[in-house]
Amino acid sequence: MSNPIRKIMVFVDGTEQSITAAQYAICLASFSGAELIAYYVVNTKAMEDLLRARIFLKDEQMEYEHDMEADADRYLNHVKDLAVQKGMSITTKRSKGSVHKEVVNAVNEEEVDLLIIGELSRIRSRRDEFFDEVDRAMRNVPCSVLIVKDDDRVWEMYQLLK
Amino acid sequence: MALIDMVKEEIIKIPVESKDKPDVLRELVQILKDAGHIDDIDAVLDVVQEREFKGSTGLEKGFAVPHAKSPAVDSLKLAIGISPDGIDFDSLDKQPSKLFFLLVAAPDQSGPHVAALSEIAKLSQSNALCKALVNADDAAEVVQLLKGE
Repeated sequence: MSNPIRKIMVFVDGTEQSITAAQYAICLASFSGAELIAYYVVNTKAMEDLLRARIFLKDEQMEYEHDMEADADRYLNHVKDLAVQKGMSITTKRSKGSVHKEVVNAVNEEEVDLLIIGELSRIRSRRDEFFDEVDRAMRNVPCSVLIVKDDDRVWEMYQLLK
Repeated sequence: MALIDMVKEEIIKIPVESKDKPDVLRELVQILKDAGHIDDIDAVLDVVQEREFKGSTGLEKGFAVPHAKSPAVDSLKLAIGISPDGIDFDSLDKQPSKLFFLLVAAPDQSGPHVAALSEIAKLSQSNALCKALVNADDAAEVVQLLKGE
């Protein structure tokens, strides 16, 4: 039987949960031989919404976009380092726009078999206003999704990986 | 951490005691201090005031979203203050502001900061929710309203 997981994409957004997800993805790619991609979306959609709502000033939007680009570099480089430390190769990619749409597009374009994401909010509000972009991506991608939990155990697993 | 995860009674004050903009900003930062989320009130207050100086974060319909980045915090921090009588916050519609959502983020966490502000922006569009929050009896009720329970 051919390997059911040929390509893994881990979504990185600067949260601790996404870094844990990256560690897990590295371990799983090592065991399965799958190709590994780390993906970051600069959430320009949210910044446009904030500008429109007048919560952001124009120069503030530009400042935050610049910061988020720098965050993208920093977190993707960190994930790359995590992979290299374990002798794994990883491709880092990023885009701008609406997070859930960009993730769905990336999964389709890259023909990803498994999307790995960090733990979602434990409290699921019934209010529509509290939607989570990653949650929305999880529900709309055509591939399987793995939600990583138990950061202590994942860290231990990553540490033991040779 | 999602915004919903940060909504806890310890970061909510209803009613706030302040009667003007400078005082309510200080009171909101004090909420964070009292909840043990920050140590240096002045460092955080400075950046919040600096942002307000560039342009008021008082929106329409009594909603205000003061926000800033500060190295004095290590992660995203939220404080909520409610003034049923309203405070002159130099808002867009010139009406008193009653609902204050203060958000302070570490400088390297722009992504979560933007996401949280975006969620707050959506909350502000719900007239029914805003009205219910202003009329809430206590912090516990505010938590219930925001979590949709």
